[in-house]
Amino acid sequence: MSFSTFVTDKAGLQQFYASIVEKHETYAPVEKFGNFDFVRVTSLSECDPASPIERTRSIKPLFFPRSAKIMKYVATSAGTEVSETDEDPYAGMRVILGAKHCDARGLQVLDKVYNWDYIDTDYQKRRRNTVIVSARCDKAAAHCFCTSLDYNVENLDAMDVLVVNGPDGKIYLKARTEKGENLLKSDVARHATSVADEASAPALKQQYEAFASSFRLKMNYTEVNGKLSNIFDSPEFEKVSDHCVGCNTCAFVCPTCHCFKISDEKLKDTGVRYKSYDSCNNGYFTLMAGGHNPRPAKYRRWRQRALHKFVYYKERFGDNLCVGCGKCTVACPVNISIFEVANQVASTAM
Amino acid sequence: MPMICKIEKIIQETPDIRTYRLKFREEGMMEKFNWMPGQFVEFSLLGSGECTFCIASSVTRQGYFDCSIKRAGAVTADIHTSLEEGDEVGIRGPYGNWFPLDDLKGKNLLFVGGGIGLAPLRSLIQYCIDNRSDYKDFTILYGARTSADLCYKDEIKEWQENKSLKVVLTIDKPEDTWTSNVGVVPKILEEVVKPEIANTKVITCGPPIMIKYTILSLKKLGFADPDIITTLEMKMQCGLGKCGRCNIGSTYVCKDGPVFTNDQLKGLPDEF
Repeated sequence: MSFSTFVTDKAGLQQFYASIVEKHETYAPVEKFGNFDFVRVTSLSECDPASPIERTRSIKPLFFPRSAKIMKYVATSAGTEVSETDEDPYAGMRVILGAKHCDARGLQVLDKVYNWDYIDTDYQKRRRNTVIVSARCDKAAAHCFCTSLDYNVENLDAMDVLVVNGPDGKIYLKARTEKGENLLKSDVARHATSVADEASAPALKQQYEAFASSFRLKMNYTEVNGKLSNIFDSPEFEKVSDHCVGCNTCAFVCPTCHCFKISDEKLKDTGVRYKSYDSCNNGYFTLMAGGHNPRPAKYRRWRQRALHKFVYYKERFGDNLCVGCGKCTVACPVNISIFEVANQVASTAM
Repeated sequence: MPMICKIEKIIQETPDIRTYRLKFREEGMMEKFNWMPGQFVEFSLLGSGECTFCIASSVTRQGYFDCSIKRAGAVTADIHTSLEEGDEVGIRGPYGNWFPLDDLKGKNLLFVGGGIGLAPLRSLIQYCIDNRSDYKDFTILYGARTSADLCYKDEIKEWQENKSLKVVLTIDKPEDTWTSNVGVVPKILEEVVKPEIANTKVITCGPPIMIKYTILSLKKLGFADPDIITTLEMKMQCGLGKCGRCNIGSTYVCKDGPVFTNDQLKGLPDEF
């Protein structure tokens, strides 16, 4: 199935966005304490869909909440009853504006783990009911390296509608999925004109090339992936992880990290069960009740983190578990960069 | 969402291990709950938390299932102190893979267990005893730190009285009233059991250090890697291949395991 492309100008894009906010349940980047987080908006003036990537949180929490109740119970002498929690706030039809393309890619990677074996129906429903509008960046930020990885940034189909700022001053809106096509047809038609793929292709290509040439960080992914596959015993893991404080922030801001913990909170006879973010960098992550811990040392946890990102997930699900967004590096209090870790360890391979 | 189970019976196995005999509260649910030896459940003491325990009994013993729980961490301490017969707990499962039953048929079976590690083996032992004609020689080597730390004492007596089974017990240090073997499991394996290697499958579980040295002994005796089967202990939470806790390399212990043969273990990154 081929999808439409529309061309418009800055005012047309704003009208498109405003129409979405007016008609749909919309989530978009809203500034708070200097950072942008995706929250529900009711007017376009509250948010900035063009928020800077290095100060914008991931859209992951809209699909996999940071901490959410998954069950409640009542336990009295009369018996025990467990029940579902209140209605899922993220289950309805909704649109996300201003998602970064690497972040949208993160969901494509996460789909693999959520859709194998046991199907997480909550996640699936949220995915199914969400339309993602995502602008391709014009310029890479200092920590970005998405173009170095195993996916095609230029032809990425992780978003439903791709927005591109053409070098000709025009703005191109390209549907990538049927959901995106429907959104464009219903909300953009009044503000833009349809354009053939052949006519829009040169501008899109030129924009991509300018963007791709703006990267400070570049790696040879195939080489790094290959080298890391055979480097389990490298002493380099100790060097790269030595100054990590184990705060887990990198995992919490990551668009693809998906480890979680299950914990109960009790109040007299009732209680709730939470599913909250956790991280393999947490020293207690694999600590077993008897005191045995297969990853008691920091370098072992970092090895797990780096290899899960660049080797294991790829082996299991076919995708790299890092999308090159640089969020972890920006957030790290001790300036550890996953890009540097992967490269540095790989560079010591035989 | 866990299903509610009623605790039918609590058996104090050792000073720090209790077996909880469970039955689903909902009528007809117990009959629908089918599991294979080696599988595990997620056991909720609501308000305290959820823990992973293997099912310690066989589906061939109908009407209930057992979880043997050693007091080790916060939740297991709560389980030991607060649960009484008649109380209700939450159960999800069964999860994970199981012992390769087809590969065991027609073979000599050698079970090597240590401490609470007999629990997952017990499920298989019961299953095999209940289908005794499918297997040849049947040997159980079981050890614990002290005689008081041996689990399933009554059942072991039954096994000892069963002429078709060979049972070898050992404890780590001598005790006045102990008349059986003394010494760690791998030593007794080599010096007392001296197993036949041809046509034998070994199934082992125990503390990580015991498993490690048992596998070394088995290799020394001449066993091939595919004939050595173990079940791994790994921190788990969801049991559904999602939460990431039990990852070893690209393997999910909760889905691809917990049962592995030694050649499969060799293919995993050396995290233990």
